[in-house]
Amino acid sequence: MTKQTFLHDKHVALGARMVDFAGWEMPVQYSSIIEEHKTVRESVGIFDVSHMGEVIVSGEDALPFLNKLVPQDITKLVNLKAVYCQLTNKKGGIIDDLIIYKLEDKKYLIIANASRIDDDLNWMVRNKCGFEVSIINESHNYSLLALQGPKACELLKSLGVENLPPFFHIKRAELFNINVWISRTGYTGEDGVEILIRNEFSEYLWDKLLDAGKQYGIKPIGLGARDTLRLEAALHLYGNDLDEETTPIEAGLSWSVSKDKTEEYNGKSVIEKQLREGITKKLIGFKMLDKSIARHGYDIYFEGTKIGSVTSGGVSPMRGDNIGMGYIKNLDKLAVGSTIQILIREKLHDAEIVKRPFVEKKNKNNI
Amino acid sequence: MNESMLCTKTHEYVLEQDNKYEIGITDYAIEQLGDIVFIELPDVNSKFSKNEAFATIESVKAASEIYMPISGTVVEVNEEIVNSPELMNDENYENKWFIKITSDADQVEFADLLDYSDYLEEIK
Repeated sequence: MTKQTFLHDKHVALGARMVDFAGWEMPVQYSSIIEEHKTVRESVGIFDVSHMGEVIVSGEDALPFLNKLVPQDITKLVNLKAVYCQLTNKKGGIIDDLIIYKLEDKKYLIIANASRIDDDLNWMVRNKCGFEVSIINESHNYSLLALQGPKACELLKSLGVENLPPFFHIKRAELFNINVWISRTGYTGEDGVEILIRNEFSEYLWDKLLDAGKQYGIKPIGLGARDTLRLEAALHLYGNDLDEETTPIEAGLSWSVSKDKTEEYNGKSVIEKQLREGITKKLIGFKMLDKSIARHGYDIYFEGTKIGSVTSGGVSPMRGDNIGMGYIKNLDKLAVGSTIQILIREKLHDAEIVKRPFVEKKNKNNI
Repeated sequence: MNESMLCTKTHEYVLEQDNKYEIGITDYAIEQLGDIVFIELPDVNSKFSKNEAFATIESVKAASEIYMPISGTVVEVNEEIVNSPELMNDENYENKWFIKITSDADQVEFADLLDYSDYLEEIK
C-alpha cells in the first residue's frame, strides 16, 4: 500500500499529477516541470518532501556510534551544524546518503532517503552492539517542507524569522506561532531552507507559506522539477548515482570523507586504499553535443568500446542543452573536454565531459 | 481534434486526407506527457508496418516510442515540431501532426482502431 503525506489532499486540490515514489504517493508536477524548475531558479518554490526519513540517534555513545557509520568525522560537528555524509558498508559501498545534524550534545538528527530508511535502520541496529545509544525512527511523526530559490530567505524574513541559520546549520524558530526546525539546506543548488514540523501542523504551514509567498511568485514544485534541479546542481540521487557497489571516492564525494579521521568506520580500509592508490571507475558529468537526451541506464562508449553507463540524464532547463552523469572506467586519456558517446536507441551520440555542477550553485556562502 | 480521426489505445491517431493519412498523437497523450522536449521522426520514403515504432517523443521525465496505427510509406515529415518540440505544448499551435503516409492498408488493419468518441470513452 502506498503511503501519503499529510499534504496529499493539498496536492490533489492544486491539480498535481500524483505518482508512486519509493512507496509514497507524491506530486510529480503541478503545472509544467520546466516552469516549476525556472520558478525555483528565479524566485521561490515550495516542496513537500515529507517522504524523507527522520531518525533521532541519542545517548551516551551517540557520537562514537555515528562515527563508526560514516566516513565524515562527526567529532568535528558542533551544535546546530549539519554535515552531508554516507552510510557505508564494510566494502565502502554506499547504503544511503544522509544529512546528520547535531541538535545538542549526544543527540543527532539524521535525514535519510525515503527509499532507504528501512535498510538504514536495519544497518544501524546491526552496528549498535557495544554502544549505549537509542535509534528512533521519527519519520511517521514529522513533515518536511522545502523553500528553495533566491527569494526563499526574503520570504522567511518577511515572516519575522530573524537570523536565519547559515548554510548547513539548523535552528529552532517560530513560524505562524508553530515551533519549527529551520535548516539552511536543500536539493536544488539554490539558497533556501528545509522546515521540519510535526505532521499536525503541515497543512496549516503549507497554506500559510503559499499565501505569504504570493508576493514573491511562489509556486508548489513537484518531484519532476526536484529531479531536474538536483541534476543541474550535480547532486547525487540514491539508486541512480549511488548504490552499495559504489564508494564515496568513486562517486566524486571525497570532499565528504574526512582524511584525518582516526576512528575506524565501516569501509575505511577500502576508502583509504582508493584515496592512496586511485580508483578504477569514476563519476563524470557530460553534456550532449546534439539534441538527444541521455537517460539512466544508457551505455557510454569511447573509441568504439563500452566504458560505462549513464546514471542520471535529462534536460537542463537553464542551460538549454541536455546533460547527464555516469560512471566510466578511469582512463587517463579521459578528462574534462574529452568527447565520449552515449548509445541512444542503437545509435551513438557525441557528448563532452564537463565540470560539475552544470549550473553555478548559489547556496554556498550565504550567512 | 478532428472528429473523423481514428485512434489506437496507445494514443496515436490516423486521419485520412486527400488519399494520404496524417498520423500523430492525441491531445490526451500530449497532456499526459507534460513538457515535450525532443521528437525524432523517420525519413521520407521509410516504410513501416502496422504497430511498428516509427518515432520517439521525449518529455522531461521519459522517452516514449510512437507506433504506426496502420502500415504505410512516409511521404511528409513535420520538421517544425522536430526543430521546436516545445510547440507541442503550445495550445495555440495547431500543426501537431508527426508524419503523412500513403497506405495500402486493408480493413483488417483498421479493425482495431477506435472512433474518436469511443477513444474518449476509453481514456475516461
